Amino acid sequence: MTQENTENIKRLEDSFAMLDDKSHSLWYYSWKRLKRNKLAMIGLWTLVLLVIIALFAPVIAPFDPNLQILEFAAKPIGFEGDVVQVRQQSGNSEDKFVAVKSIVSEDGDKIVFKGYDDQEFSINRPEIISDDGKIIRKVKYYLGTDRFGRDVLSRLIYGSRVSLTVGLISESIAIFIGIILGSMAGFFRGKTDAVVMWFVNVIFAFPAILLIIALSVVLGKGLWQAFVAIGLTGWVDIARIVRGQFFSLRETDFVEATKAIGFKPFRIMIRHILPNALGPVIVTGTVGLAAAIIFEASLSFLGLGVQPPTASWGQMIFDGYKYIVVGTNWGLAVFPSIAIMITVFAVNLLGDGLRDAFDPKLKQ
Amino acid sequence: MWSYILRNLAYSLLIIFGVLTVTFFLLYILPGDPARMMLGQRADVASVDAVREELGLNKPLYVQYARFMTNAFKGDLGRSYATNRNVVTTILEKFPATALLSFSALFFSSVIGVLIGIISAVKKYTFTDNAAMIFALFGISIPSFAFGLIMALVFGHLLKWFPISGYINDGWQYLVLPMVTLALRPMAITARITRSSMLEVMNQDYVRTAKAKGLSQGKVVFKHTLRNALNPVVTTISASLAATLGGVFFIEYIFNWPGIGLLAVDAIFKLDFPMIQGTVLFSAIVFVIINFFVDIVYAMLDPKVKLS
Repeated sequence: MTQENTENIKRLEDSFAMLDDKSHSLWYYSWKRLKRNKLAMIGLWTLVLLVIIALFAPVIAPFDPNLQILEFAAKPIGFEGDVVQVRQQSGNSEDKFVAVKSIVSEDGDKIVFKGYDDQEFSINRPEIISDDGKIIRKVKYYLGTDRFGRDVLSRLIYGSRVSLTVGLISESIAIFIGIILGSMAGFFRGKTDAVVMWFVNVIFAFPAILLIIALSVVLGKGLWQAFVAIGLTGWVDIARIVRGQFFSLRETDFVEATKAIGFKPFRIMIRHILPNALGPVIVTGTVGLAAAIIFEASLSFLGLGVQPPTASWGQMIFDGYKYIVVGTNWGLAVFPSIAIMITVFAVNLLGDGLRDAFDPKLKQ
Repeated sequence: MWSYILRNLAYSLLIIFGVLTVTFFLLYILPGDPARMMLGQRADVASVDAVREELGLNKPLYVQYARFMTNAFKGDLGRSYATNRNVVTTILEKFPATALLSFSALFFSSVIGVLIGIISAVKKYTFTDNAAMIFALFGISIPSFAFGLIMALVFGHLLKWFPISGYINDGWQYLVLPMVTLALRPMAITARITRSSMLEVMNQDYVRTAKAKGLSQGKVVFKHTLRNALNPVVTTISASLAATLGGVFFIEYIFNWPGIGLLAVDAIFKLDFPMIQGTVLFSAIVFVIINFFVDIVYAMLDPKVKLS
């Protein structure tokens, strides 16, 4: 049997599975549709990869993101430097890296080096850590260093943590608020709806980024302040979508049935309407996640949000921005920009795919 | 029609009332003492107290709120901590620069965005379509400030085609980079919406009829499809105005464009709260006013809206 044949049979089986097995949920079919969308899968796998990078940052990153070797400040892509790793005397502090140009002399345990300022200095052999017997180690900075001599690649890797956590947590806050307000408006209608929609329109009137900035100025700088500021602004779209879904689902027969049985409003909302409204919420939430990642970067760019020395992409762009202005080391601003772009691009690809998967009618 | 306009006007005022209230509470929950921020840490207790008295800071909440609302309706948003200038006057001085940038970007993004959308829809599922849509997704995915920096780097530093810092008084070239940067996002959104709306209309029977009649492709596309596909596009463009108003902040800062955005970012760096409050409030109110007019124009153009 040829390979093509096996594949055809498999495809046939797949379509049969979708046809005759009616016990599967809406989610199952949506997932099946999503799996067939190549771009969406690229987005999904990119995100999975990013999450893995964020989780295993300490293993993947070649350097500690905050390790400064001032002699190596603002070096270009692929820079290699010589260092000596010195054990710190005071117990818990980390080992120190000393940049050296060359060894001047070795006299028993005392080794004399020539430093970057061309001064000679000595270190005792027992203090030096070396894995393979060599005293001087070569370190390579694949994407160069920033103005404190920190490794750009390692900071990029660690920066993914900030972007992803802020994105996920603040969007969760937004979805939570949006679902509560949206379902109240959509289910009770009348005055409740008028008040909620008034509030939605008020928040919608502010340019989102400005409201986020104003909120984080008020709340102070920091990680959780960024969650809250972005979350408190992002719920508007979710609330609108949930309200719209409730409006149409409320008229369906199965909701009428639950009312006829005499279920309490809360139970009807949570158990019967909400699960059926979740598709569009997930799609809107994905769009919101993309926006939240951009907002976090914008906050860091302004020096609000996560504070140094914690690596975040927005802040790296801000630091690198000065180098663009003087026309050197443009990579410092461009690499984190690319990192944000890839992340948001992946989220948007997935979002587009989810939209098609949840609503096959929309796909032309 | 008049009752529709009046109803809309009343609702817009209600929204502005909400916007003012939110802004007031934003500043009210601010940690720290505004009087001390105004005078600096070294000021003596007596003068701090005097300013507190003058600003009404030791009055109860509802008095402060009423005072803020009446002042705001009179067009008084206080003085900047940094320059001691009247906030509203300063904002109105900077507004023309922002309006120029926003509207030129909006115009640029609408024209190019609709064109890209049409081409994509006509050549659907071809390389051109895929490339255009990936470009559009890229436009949505990159933060405006990051794109601005890349534009500045490529067209300002490497190619030296356009200046990267300054205002239009020195020449039209100064408008190019900030305008294109600001236009990217709304352009991408417009292109996506135009494409999907065009595709939807292309499936309609009357388009098929037009094709079957043997009309030229140009006529089918522009006369029969585009006209009927434009409704969601116009909605998107008016919504894009919000995106440009929001995006303008970083772009003005990066290209040193002397508008409200630059003013706001400066105020944020200096923690100049009255100015931050003023710019936030001003942007929101401009948005409400624009929306009010957009709604009326809609109602005049679309008979369905008038009926509801």
